[in-house]
Amino acid sequence: MVSKLRQSLATLAFTLSAGLMASGAAHSQEIKAASKWGDMNTVTQDLLNRAAGDGNNFLHTNGNYSQTRYYPNRQINVSNVGKLRPAWIFQTEVKESLETSPIVVNGVMYVTTSFNHVYALDARTGEELWHYKHKMGPITVYCCGPNNRGVAVYGDMVFMATLDAKLVALDAKTGKQVWEQEIADPELGYSETMAPTAVDGKILIGTNGGEYGIRGFVKAFDAKTGKNLWTFHTIPENSVGVWATKDATGRDMHRNIDAEKAQLAKTGDPFKTLGGGVWQNPAVDLETRRIYFVVGNPSPDLDGSLRPGDNLYTDSLVSVNLDTGQYVCHFQYIAHDVWDLDSVSPPIITTVADKDGKPIKGILHAGKTGHVYVHDAKDCSLVRFSEAMVPQENMWTLPTKEGARMLPGANGGVEWSPMAINPNLGLTYAINLHQPMTYHVESSNYPAGKLWLGGAFKVIPSEEQWGNVSAVDYNTGKIRWQVKTAQPMIGGILATAGGLVFTGEANGMFKAYDAETGATLWKFQAGAGVNAPPSSYTVDGKQYVVVGAGGNTQIDYKRGNSIIAFTTAD
Amino acid sequence: MTFGVFRAAAAALAVACLGQAALAQSIEEKAQVCAGCHGEAGKPTDKAYPTIWGQNQGYLYLQLRDFKLGNRKNEIMNGIAKDLPREDMMALAEYFSQKKWVNLDQPRASEADVKRSETAITSGQCGACHGADGIGAGTTPRITGQSHDYLLKTMEDFRSKARANNPWMSDILGTLQPEDLQALANFYAGR
Ligand code: HEC
Ligand code: HEC
Repeated sequence: MVSKLRQSLATLAFTLSAGLMASGAAHSQEIKAASKWGDMNTVTQDLLNRAAGDGNNFLHTNGNYSQTRYYPNRQINVSNVGKLRPAWIFQTEVKESLETSPIVVNGVMYVTTSFNHVYALDARTGEELWHYKHKMGPITVYCCGPNNRGVAVYGDMVFMATLDAKLVALDAKTGKQVWEQEIADPELGYSETMAPTAVDGKILIGTNGGEYGIRGFVKAFDAKTGKNLWTFHTIPENSVGVWATKDATGRDMHRNIDAEKAQLAKTGDPFKTLGGGVWQNPAVDLETRRIYFVVGNPSPDLDGSLRPGDNLYTDSLVSVNLDTGQYVCHFQYIAHDVWDLDSVSPPIITTVADKDGKPIKGILHAGKTGHVYVHDAKDCSLVRFSEAMVPQENMWTLPTKEGARMLPGANGGVEWSPMAINPNLGLTYAINLHQPMTYHVESSNYPAGKLWLGGAFKVIPSEEQWGNVSAVDYNTGKIRWQVKTAQPMIGGILATAGGLVFTGEANGMFKAYDAETGATLWKFQAGAGVNAPPSSYTVDGKQYVVVGAGGNTQIDYKRGNSIIAFTTAD
Repeated sequence: MTFGVFRAAAAALAVACLGQAALAQSIEEKAQVCAGCHGEAGKPTDKAYPTIWGQNQGYLYLQLRDFKLGNRKNEIMNGIAKDLPREDMMALAEYFSQKKWVNLDQPRASEADVKRSETAITSGQCGACHGADGIGAGTTPRITGQSHDYLLKTMEDFRSKARANNPWMSDILGTLQPEDLQALANFYAGR
């Protein structure tokens, strides 16, 4: 009732403002002609479909529907990247974690900040066109910072999901709200930090809440009206599975299956509060009308005693039908996870060599375990997994009350940071953390939507932490090159046809590497942690690379509020 | 026609206003009950009672909900919240969150307590959720300037799980020593 009323009020407000604009009065927020080709702000489905070959725009959070983050323009390349200089710096109002992937449509850039602000900027100059602040509801529960990873664009609208678990649609020209829809009830631990995905009139969105005993999902909403079209529950009503004793790489997970079976008989299937958030974008395969996404950890994170079974489909790659949300296939990396070593980094669709060396449509995913996993897109099955990109020790030792040391720590390996690929080199690029931790278990009952870790992960203060950038050959699973970084890495990476790879570090360094060798070709000190995925775009014939420097809440990297665009000096 | 529409609209408006007034009145009335302990002007009538004026709305609401569900045990508050519908709990939370936080003029912590607190705050990462200034936000409470006796009691309750509506707070405080809790209560109360 209430939400319906609110929605009709929002519609009314929109109609009014649209009326005002139509009345011809010059509007101060009107966007200027965006490029010399004229003002083409409408984002058509065709434009979105062709994003992988679009050397002007950056239309999807991860570049294109296959999520390759491979930008096709080579104007900035290995021979001139040394001349890269800041073109402009825009400072947002919010000095807090920046995880936004800038989206660029015909010379207009959309970025988001912590606490759900959206800015539209002139991509040539960094001049502000409009600024939207979401009016936050009283209840927000989120584990790891008030983050937001950006918008989706479709038609004449811009879409963002919010910390209080709402989906908002804004007019791309004015930043005025067109509609707002509740995705789920924040009181039960649901919140949103991911960017939505727009496809064929649908807005796809998952949810956070694996630390709060939610029941995870991916939902599709109608882009025009905000109506819920379908919901896929990441936790099926039968979540028990096959009592798997080994992980995807064949290592024993030390499950006590008898104890779990006894618990199952006593308390039944735990599906209602089993977690399984999806907080990074799905890859979309328009040929087969399937989407591929990864599902996060079970709740409570460290305490398996209350949730017997494999806890399907937590810690899994899952595919469902784009139009109906019907299950297609899944592959579980870790059954009954008690380390929070789940799956977050968004999957990539690309051609890979199968076990016999034949090219097949494959799916890549980088795990917190430190492996890149390569799947057959047809049935989600595992083709191979890469060498570990970070040290692994004592896997899989069970958490204890006093704390058990195991590597990697609970942030990975690879956290939410998206990978990028260079399909010509057959390489995928991942950024990693090395953070030694102890895993502690402490059982408690479901606390009605509040933080429910079932224990704690603790960084071991005496042990060195670091990170790395890894290039992995996805056709063999071998690491081609690796560069160690001073701090654990979180954010994202971009590859370009210019033979480059861009990624930033906690200490403020933003660097360009040679995609083939890992040689550092360029660097820039941004003054705050560069912990966001870079994008690239071209306007008025000039290529830019853009990234947010705002640090990170979760691992407490130096905060800032800058969006910095770079281009080559003439 | 026009007149009719206008009249209908005016009537609707009047009803809406009445409704709002009635609701506002009942919330103020309901809030009167609270004043008996939580204070007429925001200063609680007893040191063991928490300040709720200026506390964060999401937090206030969740506490009322938990008292109602029995997830947080306190005879007085369980009784008070028992029959409150959700809208009232939310409205009360909003009402009190919009009041100004009252300075209780509590003494600053000793240097030794500050030192001890700083260590505990680093290891328990209190600032990551309650903020560096202890003001919190949303569903995380303000703890800076809260009544000393209440702070100490509720932290001890978390530790012993007598307060069991947030297992994480119980776990963190469980890793600290009883003397740490005393230092922390002195520190946050007197900031
Ligand atoms: C007879 C005294 C009394 C009255 C009347 C009373 N309270 Fe309380 N309230 C308390 C006490 C005592 C506590 C602390 C309980 C504990 O230690 O767990 C408390 C705790 C609370 C808390 C939790 C605060 C925190 O920081 O966790 C809230 C919220 C609250 N009361 C709201 C109200 C509201 C709203 C009303 C009126 C509808 C009300 N109280 C009426 C005594 C009272
Ligand atoms: C992971 C986030 C987090 C951390 C870290 C954390 N807290 Fe809390 N704290 C909370 C939340 C959320 C609540 C509200 C509990 C509830 O829902 O009932 C809370 C409640 C409290 C309360 C009760 C306030 C009241 O009015 O009743 C105190 C006191 C407190 N915390 C102190 C601390 C101290 C001291 C530390 C560090 C040693 C700490 N907290 C660390 C999130 C946190």
